[in-house]
Amino acid sequence: MIEISVHKKLWSSTGEVSLDLDLTIKEGSFLTIYGKSGAGKTSFLRILTGLLKPEEGHIRVYGKTWLDSQRGINLSPQKRGVGFVFQDYALFPNMTVEENLFFALKKGQDRKTIQELIEVMELGELRHLPPQSLSGGQKQRTALARALVQRPQLLLLDEPLSALDAGMRTKLQQLILQIHREYHLTTLLVSHDAPEILKLSSEVILLEEGKVTKRGAPIEFFTHKRVSGKFQFTGEVLKIERQDFIFIVTLLIGQDVVRVVADESEVRELAPGDKVLVASKAFNPILGKLKIETVSR
Amino acid sequence: MIDWTPLLLTFKLAAVTTMALGVLGIPLAYWLAYTKNRMKPVVEALVSMPLVLPPTVLGFYLLVAFSPSNSFGQWLERWFNLRLIFSFEGLVFASILYSLPFMVQPIQSGFSGISSSLQEAAYVLGKSKLTTLFKVLLPNIKPSLLTGAVLSFAHTIGEFGVVLMIGGNIPGQTKVASIAIYDEVEALNYTSANTYSIILFVITFTILLAVYLLNGGYLKRSWK
Amino acid sequence: MNSLQGEIESIQAQGALSLVKIMVPGAVLSTVVIDTPATAPYLVSSGKIQVLFKETEVIIAKGADLAISLQNRLRGVISSIEHGELLGKLTIETQAGEITSIITTNAIRQLKLVQGDQVTAMIKTNEIMLSP
Repeated sequence: MIEISVHKKLWSSTGEVSLDLDLTIKEGSFLTIYGKSGAGKTSFLRILTGLLKPEEGHIRVYGKTWLDSQRGINLSPQKRGVGFVFQDYALFPNMTVEENLFFALKKGQDRKTIQELIEVMELGELRHLPPQSLSGGQKQRTALARALVQRPQLLLLDEPLSALDAGMRTKLQQLILQIHREYHLTTLLVSHDAPEILKLSSEVILLEEGKVTKRGAPIEFFTHKRVSGKFQFTGEVLKIERQDFIFIVTLLIGQDVVRVVADESEVRELAPGDKVLVASKAFNPILGKLKIETVSR
Repeated sequence: MIDWTPLLLTFKLAAVTTMALGVLGIPLAYWLAYTKNRMKPVVEALVSMPLVLPPTVLGFYLLVAFSPSNSFGQWLERWFNLRLIFSFEGLVFASILYSLPFMVQPIQSGFSGISSSLQEAAYVLGKSKLTTLFKVLLPNIKPSLLTGAVLSFAHTIGEFGVVLMIGGNIPGQTKVASIAIYDEVEALNYTSANTYSIILFVITFTILLAVYLLNGGYLKRSWK
Repeated sequence: MNSLQGEIESIQAQGALSLVKIMVPGAVLSTVVIDTPATAPYLVSSGKIQVLFKETEVIIAKGADLAISLQNRLRGVISSIEHGELLGKLTIETQAGEITSIITTNAIRQLKLVQGDQVTAMIKTNEIMLSP
């Protein structure tokens, strides 16, 4: 359990904002912090890492006190052992991909960890390259790998995928989810992207002017209509075709293009590019096992 | 044939001063780049003073301060057996003060130019401030370090006023090239003065050119 | 999508599934959902709820006394018919509100459906979704 109760005055472009956080986060959960810029999302993460010192408050993580302003305790970032992926990746330009990972290694830690991460993150071919020559997605993978070297129990991601194209985003979302589950990491993500939040997080908090104004399951956050249908996705409208009085709507769901039959009442307010909730009763889909051939990359 | 001693002395002084400035300038620049202390502007102004002050002012005060006829000068001599006026050690000390801004300012702006997240990333990974300085910060400001070192070196070569005030004109000890040129001109020895001058001109030009070429290369590589 | 206002009459939960009975004006509809009052807070007795079902899932029968397994029945009058080449769209006025059904044009012809006909609209139990 992570217990946070902090107060900090922030200065943003819109003026002074008082950041008042009071929340608990369950171990192993995937919490997304959602909100406008200037709401205090990044400051929240920085306070957790110890890079930003709140005026008062306390932070307890898994029973250990990280911050207690009354007793004068404030653990340095070095001692908190948090995995943090910076918005600008913060890869060291004077080191290769592999050296960046080795730099993160603790004294006496097994060097095999690096090899393992290089494999999981598919960095093998990039290991001897300097960060400047990597693409956005490759930088992101390196930064993520580096944050995981010390096997942190808490992973903080500050808008990690905002600069990437759609295909790379999807791939990295998958990777983040896989890591979150495999390492049983408590993960905190700052994100603006509704489909991303729906896909990754188990819980969302809305931060407005430094306060948590809403907290709940992602689906309740982004769908005005909550429906009981369990076969639910968010997709993007690609095309709407009329056929007599029914409509065939082509949707992009994740990487897949699907087509759905819709009535006039459903398409009246839709246009290509709109994000939609696609729901069906879970009784209809049929399942068939795929024989997957290994495709070499 | 000219006397090579003043030239050799000049380069010895420049080399010793630059090394000493490296040791002093890096911590000072680090402090100036990252401190939130209210005294920072005062220290910054003091460091920059040699840029605007006539070198003779600095030389004059050092001369007064280190004179054996004064208590501080006596104390130095008694306890450290150190006489800072009319000696090579005194020249080094004066040159360090005189060239301080040329070492500190490029390094300070180098530190300020590094994204703060690099430093923070190292801290979050559990690295101490010292490890971060040597493994992350300094390797990423090599052009600034080079600029600082070369400017200090070149500036020390060009020193005249301070040296004249505090060093005097002792051959082999404090008579550096710039003083030697002045001497030769006084003695109407224009040929020797010209030879010293050309040598200084060519050497300093070569050093500066090399730095700009090298730093240009650095820039190109890091912008790619 | 058809949408009717109703009120939950009863909830019978077993494991992850619940059988929910909903009262709409003139009929009681039932649905099976993969939710229980524990996972979906809106599943409460006598709670207001929306009943949602796709037009293409509405089955039309003529006559009143039907020997058929479908429990969800809404009686009404056809207020309009649109014919397409393959499919046809019926609008039916029921006590619970207006509902739309899309069935094949062949079926419309076979049943000789015309405007003003008394029909029974039926929906399979597993085709109804709920929304608070």
